[in-house]
Amino acid sequence: MSTLVRYLLGATMLLLSAVAHSNTPSDQLIIALKMNNILSLDPAAATGNDIAFINANLYDTLIELDPEDPTIILPSVASEWDVADDNMSLRFTLREDINFHSGNPLTAEDVVWTLERVLNLNLALATTWKALGFTQENVSSLISAPSSHEVEIKFPRELDPKLVMYTLATSPSAFIIDKQRVLEHEQQGDLGNQWLTTNAAGSGAFSLQQWIPQDRIIMTKNDRYWGEMPTLERIVMRNLKESQTMRLMIERGDIDVAIGMSVPDIRSLEEAEGVDIQTTQRGTLYYVAVSMQNDILANKDVRRAIRGTINYDGINDSIMPFYGIFHQRPVKLGLPATLPEPMYSLTTEEARALLAEAGYENGFTTTIRALNESPFINVAINLQNSLERIGINAEIISGTGNQVYGAMRDRRFDIIVGRGGGGFAPHPDSNLTPLLLNPDNADAAKLTNFQGWRTGYQNERINELIMQAVSEADSDVQNRLYGEVQSIYEEDVGALFPFSQMVNTVVVRNEVEGYLDDPAAMTRLRSVTKR
Amino acid sequence: MTRSRYSGVVRKIGVIFITLFGLLTMTFVIGRLMPIDPVLAVIGPDADSSTYQQVFEQMGLDRPIWVQYFYYLQAMLSGDFGRAILTGSPVVDDILRVLPATIELASIAIMVGVGLGVPLGVYAATHRGRLGDHLTRVITLFGYSTPVFWVGMVGLIIFYAWLNWAGAAGRIGFAYDGMFTSYTGFYLVDTLLSGNLEAFFSALRHIALPALILGLNSVSFIGRMTRSFMLEQLSQEYIKTARVKGLSERSVIWKHAFKNIRVQLLTIVALAYGGLLEGAVLIETVFAWPGFGQYLTDSLLMGDMNAVMASVLFIGLVFVFLNLLSDVLYKLFDPRTQ
Repeated sequence: MSTLVRYLLGATMLLLSAVAHSNTPSDQLIIALKMNNILSLDPAAATGNDIAFINANLYDTLIELDPEDPTIILPSVASEWDVADDNMSLRFTLREDINFHSGNPLTAEDVVWTLERVLNLNLALATTWKALGFTQENVSSLISAPSSHEVEIKFPRELDPKLVMYTLATSPSAFIIDKQRVLEHEQQGDLGNQWLTTNAAGSGAFSLQQWIPQDRIIMTKNDRYWGEMPTLERIVMRNLKESQTMRLMIERGDIDVAIGMSVPDIRSLEEAEGVDIQTTQRGTLYYVAVSMQNDILANKDVRRAIRGTINYDGINDSIMPFYGIFHQRPVKLGLPATLPEPMYSLTTEEARALLAEAGYENGFTTTIRALNESPFINVAINLQNSLERIGINAEIISGTGNQVYGAMRDRRFDIIVGRGGGGFAPHPDSNLTPLLLNPDNADAAKLTNFQGWRTGYQNERINELIMQAVSEADSDVQNRLYGEVQSIYEEDVGALFPFSQMVNTVVVRNEVEGYLDDPAAMTRLRSVTKR
Repeated sequence: MTRSRYSGVVRKIGVIFITLFGLLTMTFVIGRLMPIDPVLAVIGPDADSSTYQQVFEQMGLDRPIWVQYFYYLQAMLSGDFGRAILTGSPVVDDILRVLPATIELASIAIMVGVGLGVPLGVYAATHRGRLGDHLTRVITLFGYSTPVFWVGMVGLIIFYAWLNWAGAAGRIGFAYDGMFTSYTGFYLVDTLLSGNLEAFFSALRHIALPALILGLNSVSFIGRMTRSFMLEQLSQEYIKTARVKGLSERSVIWKHAFKNIRVQLLTIVALAYGGLLEGAVLIETVFAWPGFGQYLTDSLLMGDMNAVMASVLFIGLVFVFLNLLSDVLYKLFDPRTQ
C-alpha cells in the first residue's frame, strides 16, 4: 500500500470517528443560548436573566431560595441569620471555610464591599437597592461587618425583612465578589468595573475558564468548592441565535440544553424522543399598558373599554403557550396575597358602549408599540384587530427593546404591549413597586424605573398602601393590604392590564439529570449530572 | 519618479483619505440619527434616571455631536478606537479576534467560487446558446437569487440533520472549545499546529457547509462575469485569426482568449472576496459563525458606535486595498499599461 493511500485511509478513519462523535461528552454540559444581552459579567452592571444564570454558577450569595419552593430560604455563604426584634436589621453569620477561586478567603469585608460597590458604581443594578431606600450616602453606615465573619444590614426605613432577604437571594447584584482580587485590577477608581466586565472573581461551584464575548463562555469545576461538589468538569455555553439550528442540534444530541428557542421549534419537539421540555413560572408579567399622558386614554371609561377589548382567552390559548400563562392581576400567581383572577374577558359590545359614553362613539386613532418579536408583535396584532371592532384605529409601531421601552421611559407612547414588573422575589412588593407605585407623577421626577410613572398612572391610596405593606411584618395584615391594593386598582381601572404571567421554557436532553430551571433565573448547575 | 507620476500618487492618497473621512463622517451622523439608545442597551429598561444620566455622561453623549465626533477622530488618530459596548473589550482587539473566523470562511468560499465559477463561465461562453450555456445560466441565476439564509437552513437539514456529513453551528464541535491552543485564530491551522487531528476534522466538518454555500453564491457572480468577459474576447478578430491559423480550440480558448481576461477576472475575484469578508452575515447567523459580519450587525443594532465606526473604517480600508491591488495587477499583466 502506498504511503498516500495509507494517509488517505487514516484521514478517512479520523473523519468518520469525528462523524460518529455527535453526542456531547458525559463530563461536559453544552448549553446553547442567545448572548445578545450578555454585555458585562460585573454583578453590579449585569442586566438580564442570562447573566444571572451565568453568575449564579461563578459566584455565591449569602442565602439562596429553594428553586422548588422559592418561599423557603436556604443557607449558603451565610450559615445562619437573625432578624432584629424591631425588624429593622438583619445579622448574618458566615461560614469560615470558603475561599474564592483566587484562593483568597471569603470574609464579611468582601460581602460589605460588594453591596457598597453596587451603590457606589450606580450602574444598572443599583436601582434594586435604591428602591429599598439604600443610597450611596447611607450604605456605609447601614451595611457593616461587626466581625470577620458577621455581616449586619440595617434598614434605611421600615421594611419587611423577608423582602431584603429575598433581594439578597435573587438579585444578581448580591453575588459576593473577591474584593482583594478585583482591586488589583482597579483603573481610575472604577472599583474594578472594567476588569469585571470580562472576568469573574467569585467562589462559585465553577470558575471562568474563557469568555469570548458574543461567542462562548467556558466554566470549569471549582475543585475547592466548599459545598456540594459538581460532577461536571466543564460547562460550555455557546451563542446560538438561530432557533432552528438550536432545534436540529438538540435533536441530534450536539447540545444538552437549549435556552431561548422559538415557540414553533419548541412545539415541534413536543413529541420528539430524547428531549424534555421544562417550563418554569417566572414572576414577570405580560401586559397592555396605556399612557395617562394621552387625554383620551386618561379617560376611565376609555381605559375600561380597552381592558374589555383584550382577547385574554384567545391570546393565552393561541399565542402565549411556552411564553406565559393566563393571569390578570398585578401580583404574580402563587402568593398568598394574590387575589383570585378578576376574569376579564373580551366584551366588544360593552366596550363599544363605554367608548360612546366617554364621547368617542366614532372611535379614535392611536398607536400600539411592541417589540418586533414573538409574542409581543402577535399580541399587538390581535389587539389591533379587537380595537378596530370598537372603532379604534391603532397603528402598530414595532421595534427593538431599545425603541419600544425607550419610548415608554420617555413617556412617548399611547399603548404598549410589554413585559416587566420584576417579580423575582416571592413577595408582592417585587411586582407592585415596579408596576404600580408612582410617588411623583411630574415629568421632571423622571422615575423611569417605575412603570407606574411611565404610564402616568398615580393613585395616592395605592402608593400609601404599598409603602405601608412593605413595612408590615405581620403576614396576615400585609396580605390584606396587598389585597386592598389589587381591589382599588381593579376598581380604578389602572393604566396597565396584565394578561399573562411569564414562563421560561428550556429544552433539555434526557441524558441530563438534575437541571432545575430557577424561577429567579439563578439556575445552578452544581447538581447536574449526565448519563 | 517623474513629476506627473508623483502628483498622481499624491492625488490617489488624497482621494483615499477623503473617501475614508467621508465614510467615517457619514457613519457617525447616521449612527447618531438612528433611533437607538446605547445607554439603554447598557443599563437595561428598568434602571432609574440617575443611573441613566451617569452612563449617558460616561459615554460622552452629553456633548454636542460635533464635539463627540472631534474627540472620536482625535482618539482614533492616536490609535485609540475605544471600547465596544457589546463586548466590553477594545474594538481593535474585537476586530482582530473575529477577523480570522471570517477570513478562514471567505478564503475557502472564494476557492469554491473560483474553482467552479471560472470553468463554468468559460464553458458557458464557448457553448453559447446551447444546453450547457442555458444550464449554467440557470445555475448561476439560482445561486444569485436564492436567499443564502434559506440555502443555509436547507443545507443544515440535509447535510447535518439527515446525512450527518457536516457539522452544525460554530467553527468546531462545542466539546472541542478551548481544547487546543490558538496560534493564528484560524482553526484549521491551529488544530493542526496543536496536533489535535480530531479537532481538525471537526473544524473541517464545520467549515465545509457554510463555505460551500457562500462559495456557490460567489460562483454565480464569478461565473456570469467570466462568461461575459469570454464572450467579448471570443468575438475579437485575433480569435478568428488564431482559429484560421489552425490552432486547437483548447489553445484558442485558454492560451489566447482566457489570457486576456485574467486581469478583469482578478479584479472581480478581489471584489467578490471583499464582499465575502463583510457580507457573510446571514450565513454567519445560521451557522453561529463568530465572524466580522455578525459583529458589525450586532454592533449596529445596539447603536455601539465605537464598534460600528471601526468596522466601517476597516471595510473601507479593505476595498481601498482591493482597488489598489487591482490597479497594480493591471499594471503587471496588461501589456497596454506597460
